[in-house]
Amino acid sequence: MALLLRTHFKLAKTSIRENRTRSFLTCLGIAIGVASIILILSLMGSISNLIQNEIGEIGADLIVVRPSSTKDSVTSIVEELTSANSFQKSSLAISDVPAIAKLENVSAAAPIAISNNTIISEKNTLSSVPVLGTNLDFIKIEPLSMRYGAFLNEHNAENSVVLGHTLSLALFNTINSTVGKTVTIMGEKFMIVGVLDEVDKSINFDNIDFDNALIMDIDSLDRITGSTQIQQINIKAANTDSLSTISQDIENELFNQKLGDKNFTVAYGDAITHPASSLFTIVSGMLTIVAAISLVVGGIGVMNIMLVSVAERTHEIGIRKAVGASSRNILMQFLFEALILSILGGILGLILGYVLAFLLSVITPFAPYISWEIIAITFLTTISVGIIFGIYPALKAASKNPIDSLRYYR
Amino acid sequence: MSENTLIELRGLTKRYGYGDTESFALKDFDLTIKRGEFIMIMGPSGCGKTTLLNIIGLLDRASRGEYILNGENVASISARRQARLRAKKIGFVFQNFNLIEDLPILENVALPLVYTGYTKTSRLKHASNALKRFHLQEREYYLPYQLSGGQQQRVAIARAIVGNPEIILADEPTGNLDSRSSHIVMEELKAIHDEGNTIIMVTHNPALTVYATRVINMLDGQIDTDIKTVADANLPQPISVKIKKKKSEFSSLISADSKRSRKHKKSRRKR
Repeated sequence: MALLLRTHFKLAKTSIRENRTRSFLTCLGIAIGVASIILILSLMGSISNLIQNEIGEIGADLIVVRPSSTKDSVTSIVEELTSANSFQKSSLAISDVPAIAKLENVSAAAPIAISNNTIISEKNTLSSVPVLGTNLDFIKIEPLSMRYGAFLNEHNAENSVVLGHTLSLALFNTINSTVGKTVTIMGEKFMIVGVLDEVDKSINFDNIDFDNALIMDIDSLDRITGSTQIQQINIKAANTDSLSTISQDIENELFNQKLGDKNFTVAYGDAITHPASSLFTIVSGMLTIVAAISLVVGGIGVMNIMLVSVAERTHEIGIRKAVGASSRNILMQFLFEALILSILGGILGLILGYVLAFLLSVITPFAPYISWEIIAITFLTTISVGIIFGIYPALKAASKNPIDSLRYYR
Repeated sequence: MSENTLIELRGLTKRYGYGDTESFALKDFDLTIKRGEFIMIMGPSGCGKTTLLNIIGLLDRASRGEYILNGENVASISARRQARLRAKKIGFVFQNFNLIEDLPILENVALPLVYTGYTKTSRLKHASNALKRFHLQEREYYLPYQLSGGQQQRVAIARAIVGNPEIILADEPTGNLDSRSSHIVMEELKAIHDEGNTIIMVTHNPALTVYATRVINMLDGQIDTDIKTVADANLPQPISVKIKKKKSEFSSLISADSKRSRKHKKSRRKR
């Protein structure tokens, strides 16, 4: 049997080499499908790596509370994305924050509420600027460093703001003389007390692009916009050993606050990374489906070329059967050929995918992410594509009648 | 059934089509073939000669009747084992040679051994020996189209005997050849027969019947005449073909033969 397998392998190699152009184009079909899957998986891996690294930097003492009770289910993510998030009433309230902060072992708690507003400076007017409403604890949790000035403090919180690095440039065309100037938001004037250092991390667990954001006190934000939607509460635990106990305490406290309505999630550790990248989960899920479709198209290419090959070699099949090949021998011969075509395509796709991932890493912060899981997935997919799309032509070849096949000439 | 019986056909019928289009390639065909026979089957086109050969060669199935091969009813043999039997016990020679165009002749000859579990090296060694017997060893790596018709047919015969089969089935092996090549091919078949193999050959050429031990004339799917020219007792000993047989033995065998064979040797020398 092993001997025969080697023979099949050699036969397939010969046949593929003889029809080089045709085989290469077929492989390319598979390769494009595999490359896009690799690219997407690498991108996803690199994104969750980025977020994990960030959490590592912040420290292991981070707990996050988010609205909505369902955790991982895809439907909740879809709902969250489709229901115009910013207009939906968040289940978290500003009053929840001091309640959490009072708990034992909680050293800081900062809400995050985002509202997109138009900001007017002496030079420019910018619309749809993300305005982050939070409290003074924020800087204790988030390791943001200031380029100029200082973060909000209890004396100036009511009418002061902090600008992101890029936003400062956009509003005043400068960063070094921004502190002390004023901006107008919803008709109210605010003094700029600080400018953030460049963060350059558009993907983080807060879902905020700090470089482009304006930070102000949540009470002020609530005052000018009328209502604020808290999308997340960041909590710093006093000690890292009892995160589960602390998060349980937080859960119980909020549960009581909301009179038994459990419509929020308390997460710590790796669980934090997921919802922050929910948009990416959706997008990459969609992309994976598209890639899978292109893989199916590639598979149909394999099937097509195998059917051509079977038809072309009808006479050969007749001869082989006449000299003693069983139907199974013929089946294996053609199945092997399809398998080798798709595995070659898979290898080509693996290389192509990582070349693309590398090129992407030049212009984006996503470094190529290589893991054995990705490589295993690639091989399993290509092998199944080879078998699924190779079995029909192989069966067709195997079921050929030797007498008719012998009479057939190309 | 005598011990020397190789093939027994009883009431064999092959029907094509149904109803109005019904026609019979074979009709209640009975035949017993002994080991060591060289049978020539003659008859007009469409009398069922090729169908008979295909059924004996396990490429086709009869619609009705029994086919007993080596004491075993073929109907009870699985398709997979029938394929193995084709590889080991039966050698086919066709009118149009049926060599695989993309394979060098050495690999064409080795083809039946692929399915009987030989390693690649031993396959090619056996094939090379078989080709040597037919004086084609210098052309091992030629592709079929680079050879003449007579040479291609000798390659096909080498392929038929490479696995030491008991039965050689030849369907008009000289049909596409000129008379000189025909006689070379017939001499080769005769030599194989003299080593104790059973040969069943379909032909249209009455001149070739001198090689046969038995001539069967077929008409409309049935036996018309059946003439044995050699008594059963004088048939060659049923020993398997020894491809490695020394060349001296082989050539002495031929020189002891008719004028034609001498002519054929001369022509070979000329080449």
